[in-house]
Amino acid sequence: MDATRLAALLRSVDDDRRNGADVGERLCATCVEVLGVAGAGIMLMSEGEHRGTLGVSNAVISVVEELQFTLGEGPCIDAYNTTLPVFEPDLGEPAVNRWPAFSGPAVDAGVGAVFGFPLRAGTANLGALDLYLADPADLLPRQVDDATVMAEVISATVLSLQADAAPGTLAPELRAGLGHRAGVHQASGMVSAQLDIDVADALTRIRAHAYTTNRPINDVARDIVARRLRLA
Amino acid sequence: MAQREALLVDTFVTLADTMVSDFDVVDFLSLLSDRCVELFAAGAAGLMLADSEGHLQLTASSSHQMRLLELLELQDDDGPCPDAYRSGARVVCLDLRDAAERWPTFAPAAVTAGFRSAYALPLRLRDEVIGALNLINTTVGPLSGDDLVAAQALADVATIGILQNRATRESQVLTGQLEYALTSRVVIEQAKGVVAHTLDVTMDGAFDRLRRYSRNRNERLADVAQAIVTKTLPVDALILR
Repeated sequence: MDATRLAALLRSVDDDRRNGADVGERLCATCVEVLGVAGAGIMLMSEGEHRGTLGVSNAVISVVEELQFTLGEGPCIDAYNTTLPVFEPDLGEPAVNRWPAFSGPAVDAGVGAVFGFPLRAGTANLGALDLYLADPADLLPRQVDDATVMAEVISATVLSLQADAAPGTLAPELRAGLGHRAGVHQASGMVSAQLDIDVADALTRIRAHAYTTNRPINDVARDIVARRLRLA
Repeated sequence: MAQREALLVDTFVTLADTMVSDFDVVDFLSLLSDRCVELFAAGAAGLMLADSEGHLQLTASSSHQMRLLELLELQDDDGPCPDAYRSGARVVCLDLRDAAERWPTFAPAAVTAGFRSAYALPLRLRDEVIGALNLINTTVGPLSGDDLVAAQALADVATIGILQNRATRESQVLTGQLEYALTSRVVIEQAKGVVAHTLDVTMDGAFDRLRRYSRNRNERLADVAQAIVTKTLPVDALILR
């Protein structure tokens, strides 16, 4: 990406911020445009856990985010944990099957190749940027460079949004995309109390149930919260 | 390489090295003021940094005498350092005995202490001035052009080091706040689930009980939620009596 384009990009991100536009969605759309990929998604994480999605550019990447949240595995989780970019140029026929549960459903959703870039600020990890291509292919060196720049722009934007938040609270712009997981965390609390296990194990049980019954994790959580479903 | 150039190079390397390890601004600037005395045969050197309100504070001095003079400068806002900080430009006084009008407090005090000439170089990066470097001498007359270039280069390196360190610290504070905010939102939802199940109430009912408990005890909601989730606080404690 040349300096003029980067400057224009930073200006438009700043304009979006001021105009109260959905910053997450706009950043994802910008990634798609700048990088020439089929879709982009941004995931925020803390303490090793997927905390929610800041933005997605289309329905396919939304499935990619959903799968990673449900299964706890995938390119974003690996990028976050290793703090290195993750490249899977052929998700259908991978050289190493890194994500046994994630890969099949992601391919079915239309993902040919998938990539994860860590979102970092100094030594801290904030989350990851997911990219996908519809057909199997490597990212070009130029795309890798630009994706690294975009990851930095996203990290800086997230921190500058949080800089304006009241102490102890999450910036409203960051909150929007995370609220729809509240039910899953409530359900984790309920299952933890029912089975007398810790909340991390409870989340694992809920994930396993969603995976084996092939249902969205939010639906499973809703049933638990409504006391229609009780995990054994 | 002449001994002086070797010392100059060594000073740059040492300053750069200080920036990457455990950075301490006072140690960093003390090193710089000591090296300035050696490098430029200055009588004394000192550094001042502006605080968040824009007031200069004494940060490092090569000698006790310099420290007293600098305190005097700050007290009456009168002297080469305040001038360099305000203007963002280099301040030169080749004979302090002629400067009583310019600096009524500083100049006579410096002369009495045995000093004859003074320089102040701004610590400046582009439009931002964060402080100033003071060099004073026991002889009348100018520093050489080379010395001035080298001294300003040291001041520039110090400025970049300090600004870089500030940016890193700010980003650390922000990422810490972001992590806390992300995690505490999740923990509050989890605690609602624990309370809703244990007391057989709705999520809203669970939230009310958590909030009332934390308000009554003046504790943070996120901390109460964390205690419930980790079972260090029994859910029964939330029952209204």
